Amino acid sequence: MAKLVLRCTVNDEPIEVLVQPYVTLLDALREDLGLTGPKEGCGTGDCGACTVHLDGKPVASCLMLAMQARGRRVRTIEGLAGADGLHPLQEAFVRLGVPQCGFCIPGVLMAAAAFLAENPKASEEEIRYGIAGNLCRCTGYTKMLAAITEVAGSLSAKGA
Amino acid sequence: MAVMKTTRGVKGVGLAIPRPDGPEKVTGQVLYVADIKPKGMLHAKLLRSPHAHARIVSIDTTRAKALRGVRAVLTARDIPELKRKAPTRAHALLAIDRVVFAGQPVAAVAADELAIAEEACDLIDVRYEVLRAAVDPLESMQVGAPPVADAGTEADTSEALAHSGVAVAKTEAAPTTAVNIAQQIKLGRGDVAKGFALSDVVIENTYRVPMVHQGYLEPHAVLAQWDENGQLTLYSSTQGSFNTRSEVADVLHIEENRIKVIPVECGGGFGGKIRALCEPITAILARATKRPVRYVMTRREELEAGMPAPQVIIKLKTGVKRDGTLMALDGETVIESGAFSGAVLTMSAVFVSSVYQFPNFEVRAYEVLTHKPSIAAYRAPTAPHTFFAIDSQMEQMALALKVDPVEFRLRHLMKEGDPMANGQPWQQNGAKQVLERLAAHPLWKSRAAWKASGGKDGRGLRGVGLALGGWIPGLQPTGATVRLNPDGSLQVLTGQVDIAGTNIALAQIAATAYGVDTDKVKITTGDTDTAPMTGLSAGSKTIYTVGTAVMQAAQDARRQTLEIAAKEMEAAVQDLEIEDGKVVVRGVPDKGVTLASIGKKGNLYMSKVPPVLGVAHPAFSQQAPAFAGQLARIEIDPDTGQTTLHDFVVVQDAGKAINPLGVEGQMQGGAVQSLGIALTEGLMYDDKGQLMNASLLDYRKLTAADLPNIETIIVEVPSPAGPYGARGVGEPPIVPAPAAIANAIYDAAGVRLTEAPLTPERIALALLAKNGDGTSGA
Repeated sequence: MAKLVLRCTVNDEPIEVLVQPYVTLLDALREDLGLTGPKEGCGTGDCGACTVHLDGKPVASCLMLAMQARGRRVRTIEGLAGADGLHPLQEAFVRLGVPQCGFCIPGVLMAAAAFLAENPKASEEEIRYGIAGNLCRCTGYTKMLAAITEVAGSLSAKGA
Repeated sequence: MAVMKTTRGVKGVGLAIPRPDGPEKVTGQVLYVADIKPKGMLHAKLLRSPHAHARIVSIDTTRAKALRGVRAVLTARDIPELKRKAPTRAHALLAIDRVVFAGQPVAAVAADELAIAEEACDLIDVRYEVLRAAVDPLESMQVGAPPVADAGTEADTSEALAHSGVAVAKTEAAPTTAVNIAQQIKLGRGDVAKGFALSDVVIENTYRVPMVHQGYLEPHAVLAQWDENGQLTLYSSTQGSFNTRSEVADVLHIEENRIKVIPVECGGGFGGKIRALCEPITAILARATKRPVRYVMTRREELEAGMPAPQVIIKLKTGVKRDGTLMALDGETVIESGAFSGAVLTMSAVFVSSVYQFPNFEVRAYEVLTHKPSIAAYRAPTAPHTFFAIDSQMEQMALALKVDPVEFRLRHLMKEGDPMANGQPWQQNGAKQVLERLAAHPLWKSRAAWKASGGKDGRGLRGVGLALGGWIPGLQPTGATVRLNPDGSLQVLTGQVDIAGTNIALAQIAATAYGVDTDKVKITTGDTDTAPMTGLSAGSKTIYTVGTAVMQAAQDARRQTLEIAAKEMEAAVQDLEIEDGKVVVRGVPDKGVTLASIGKKGNLYMSKVPPVLGVAHPAFSQQAPAFAGQLARIEIDPDTGQTTLHDFVVVQDAGKAINPLGVEGQMQGGAVQSLGIALTEGLMYDDKGQLMNASLLDYRKLTAADLPNIETIIVEVPSPAGPYGARGVGEPPIVPAPAAIANAIYDAAGVRLTEAPLTPERIALALLAKNGDGTSGA
């Protein structure tokens, strides 16, 4: 099959890459662009490990074709930290000892970042539902929720 | 943490220090096998059997081989190493002429792209003659069931040895012609019939827990590459690189020093990545194509053809006198191992009759093969199942006698020195302290008020339940080295695969043992070419065994350092101390020799000072049992049977929490896996042996929205032999929840469930049966 040209923005950089028309966005990111932060845990949109932002919204990158990202803004875990260091969620995850095996973490962070961007004052109970699409097998979610809730508190304090 | 100084006054053991590789883990920089892609790499795909039991009539690979981009298509006849009577899954690379579970590999393909490999699999034409499958273990263990293993295949007991080390001395195996019983044992003491005759209350139930998947988020993955000299390099998602090396060497019939296993970051294992699974076939594809080959299992393959935990069926009868004296226990444990033997048969049989004191008991245990994927370890193998039975049973006896269920357990709990069912004496442990701490919890003390608040004002039925669970962690010899660098920092090397954050705890141990702060310690996980022999990251033994090796190696490095300093300072070694990066004479902190200067001289041209290299490679004999208790406060919707978890508490004896952050993480994660077994998980098969829930949509793991925060309470009853008193912490927290939840459901709704998962459907049906009037209301 002839490859197609995908032009879009990934982590604020304009990119142009040849992709097979049948590859998913996840595979294009991982195999063609070398961005292996997003993970494939199931390939069917059930685990959330492949979560990236598309125009700021969280999507399961294993469930969409790469070409559907044409002309749009994609952000992966590699682009979550800013020039001045880790995103507050990343900092809290490290400090509170959230990651164990770490495989789910990129997806959880992208889901949580998108959720807090829309709901900066979210309560812990709301955050539970905000990350319910992301499976984690190691942590039991407790430390994860503490970290996200702490950041939500500080973001809402800043916002107020 | 309140404690800022620990032993030797350094920042080491006991502090909640975040793992140093945290930033890599939260930025996506950590590389797992599927993230590694050497030049020229091919993708592998396995064609798997759609049938649980069938004879392979023919395989035609002509069309697959002709597809552009396909580099190899292998079947059993292409692999000279392949033998019948495969003792393990790793040896059964591809089916020879009979498939024994749905999902068993039949052919292997390597191609330029994954999509091409998948297409090639579709082009392989396999003709099967479908045979009757043994699906239910209770039927499979009968005479006349369709045979699973090839006649003459030996039972595999290596998993049991590797994982638990609980041996059964007295084995009475009754001869049987039932072909699918792979192993059986019988344990007993006293006069069981007489014990029951003298009992006032006899309770009998059959407990059943289906096969569950370990659920690690990263599917099995391996990358294999051969060089021109016949050296094989394997990048593997494994819990133990040295074990993987041995297994692959055994399957491929090559020397171990021709294989280098690089333990890449492991995205979760929980027992499921101890044994080799897809390493050998991937290595053979790489050999056939002379190219690097990567194989990553899909989630569907993981669920259909991974190595799940066994189904365990325990028929249990217990008798007690009116005054609370335990009289007799009779148990029958059936462990369903799937298509290949490998169950930890002894653990269930020993635990069911060893935690509480029954003067008379008999337990018969069977490992039964069926036409399903073969099993592997899953965090405290068979212990959740076994405590589900025994702690449900203890609760029922206490309630029947109208005595406090915690008091009843405490009264009968085995103590240090009491004989376990296999005759070994119980080692000192914290089971009693765990139960006492749980019983002191406000949620337990206020349980009557919680229960009374249910069933009115639109609320559901409310209840509280608790249970105990434990494990006897494994032992494995292991090695470590500790070097002093020219700048005075320490370099620790082991082969320990760090999955959950054990390396930071090992660094803390090295820091305390040597006498520097943890931030001066770098710890590296080496591959099998460079690291000292290191055991598995399994069996709750990383800190207990590798921690001991690191402690001893750091002590050795400290001794060498002090000896070098003693010569220079013309002082006696016993008068020296390491403080703030210097070796000083005790009480004279101003004068001293810096660690950096000692380290520098160890690497100075023409220097006569030897480099400091601490080495330790201990073997172990003393196990340290580890217990956890869990308490659940729940609410049940009487119309739907839906259980809502309001609160969940884990109390655990860690011996000494080397790093409380890591210990809490183990307790919380283990608790949620235990709750998964209790509430939602189970591989469901139809009567043909087909998996009916082969996706994460249908195989329900708990999400953040299903759970409350998990409260953790660490109890410290120091172990006699562990480093700084530490005990294993990984496995105990997966044990208690099934019994704790069943006990809470009974407290709330008055129905006793004995079949996991304890689903809304089962609860609602039990309520209907109890009320007998077609209503489920309270």
